[in-house]
Amino acid sequence: MITQASRRPLASWKAVLRRTRQQRQPLLLRSMATETTPTTPTPGAAMPIPPRKKPTFHTIKSNLPHKPIRTAFAVYPRPPSSRSTTPSPLISYHAQQIRRLDRTGARTALFSKSNPDAAKAGDVLQVTTNRGEPFAGVCLSIRRAGVDTAILLRNHLTKVGVEMWYKIYSPNVLGIEIIWRRPKRARRARLTYMRKPSHDMGNVDHLVEAWRRTRNVFSSKGKGAASNAGRAGKHAKKGRR
Amino acid sequence: MAPRLPARWAAALSTTSTSTIIPSRSLLITERHTLLPRTAKRGVKYGWSTANPRDKPNRFNQPSAGLPIPTAGPAAALKRKEQSTPFRTGILATKKGVSAMFNAKGMRIPCTILQMDQCQVVASKTRGGNGYWAVQVGCGHKTAGNVTAPLLGYYEAKGVAPKRHLAEFKVRGEEGLLPVGVQLQPDWFKVGQFVDARSNSRGMGFAGGMKRHGFAGQGASHGNSKNHRTIGTAGPSQGGGSRVHPGKKMPGRMGNERVTIQNLRVLKVDNETGIVVVNGHVAGPKGCIVQIADAIKKDPPAETFMEKAKRLLLERNPDHEARLEEARVAHMELKEMRKQGTIGQAVALM
Repeated sequence: MITQASRRPLASWKAVLRRTRQQRQPLLLRSMATETTPTTPTPGAAMPIPPRKKPTFHTIKSNLPHKPIRTAFAVYPRPPSSRSTTPSPLISYHAQQIRRLDRTGARTALFSKSNPDAAKAGDVLQVTTNRGEPFAGVCLSIRRAGVDTAILLRNHLTKVGVEMWYKIYSPNVLGIEIIWRRPKRARRARLTYMRKPSHDMGNVDHLVEAWRRTRNVFSSKGKGAASNAGRAGKHAKKGRR
Repeated sequence: MAPRLPARWAAALSTTSTSTIIPSRSLLITERHTLLPRTAKRGVKYGWSTANPRDKPNRFNQPSAGLPIPTAGPAAALKRKEQSTPFRTGILATKKGVSAMFNAKGMRIPCTILQMDQCQVVASKTRGGNGYWAVQVGCGHKTAGNVTAPLLGYYEAKGVAPKRHLAEFKVRGEEGLLPVGVQLQPDWFKVGQFVDARSNSRGMGFAGGMKRHGFAGQGASHGNSKNHRTIGTAGPSQGGGSRVHPGKKMPGRMGNERVTIQNLRVLKVDNETGIVVVNGHVAGPKGCIVQIADAIKKDPPAETFMEKAKRLLLERNPDHEARLEEARVAHMELKEMRKQGTIGQAVALM
């Protein structure tokens, strides 16, 4: 990241600012950590009996001057409405599911629109799942749909273009890491043009290698650090950027 | 077979046997067979049979006659449909959208989120009064100004606020009925049970044969002229009678018809937000009304659960009986006042 600083003065500023933000991060992270309290339905809990309200009258008026009210009906009060208390249950459903699946809030922050350090389309990401090798690739698009949010990664394996969708909140996804940041913001949300030969990034393994080397330099040298990379589900470095 | 003695005759005979005023009628009565008609029923002449005459088909096929149960008629229809009728009522909900849920194994399960809003029992349909057992359920609300006067009277008599949607759910017997006015909650369903979801599918408008019925269409070339998506011929010729058969699949209105999705598993219920989350997809656009009921092709939830759900329902609406009685009494009074034309005074008093 920083290696490009000499050639791109603006990018260096971005990197420096990002680093200063990251140094502040631990404090913020600690405050962001939330203990989940799943809202399981409590069928046994009896609701308090609301006091019985009197009905109101709905009058139907007439045009006759001597009889202004044609007829009237008693209209009884409405029962408690879940629609008025929860107008958009989909949002609360997403929030509740994300609370359950992403306890530290790291995944949400990694793809949050409000986070300046979030992963964007065009960045190279690496996803570690609970089976097989980690998959690294350039992020072509982020499909935001609450708990169903997914990312599309593209790489070349054995000179064949491979694209993989990953659900970011899936329990099978152990960690997502940003390998390389695109120096300039992509001006499209979905980089489908990167499938064209003229824009294709090709294999990203060299970027992954470079990232691994920098990590080994900064962390405690040993082999353990490299093997720990991506095991974010069990460590505080989850969703590390 | 000769008909049995009509009831009128029997009544006349019983009076004459006591009074014996008219001697001509008393001729019918012998010592052995007081009330039998003179016409012979049994004998070689009329076709001798050792079978009990009451076992033969008779137009007076009453339940007390000891005859085989009729296989046609309302009672037989109810009996026939018994297996496919759920024990208890379903509910009305609104489709809110589609999402996913990750289960314990980490598998992604697509799901539909349905919200119950002010879902109340409005009426009961009984075998005696209506010919079948059913629960009428309403959901949503309507401002009184948008409700017609006859329906306002209907809701007034039930003591229920006017509803946006009404639907009936048939139940197997009297045990499935619920008291009028009780509010149903999502925990009416057990997590893990199977339900059927009925709703109107998304309307596609006027659609051609390819989209509506999956016709193959026609070739793009080989001399084809301006007929690429048309349905082709509509009827056979010569042997088929050179006509269009009834029910021929043709272009027309597609969608917006009732679709039942069977055997959806309930993944989550939440009384606070009023949501029922079911596995898979339900027909119709977001915001459509969905009828959810216990699946007819799966075992119903455990009896203990159904009892518990009903008990909870009644506990949450403890004064439903008094409420309904009060509403009924008030309705009769108001109805009388409306007839008299003195309803204005009642309104002024409020």
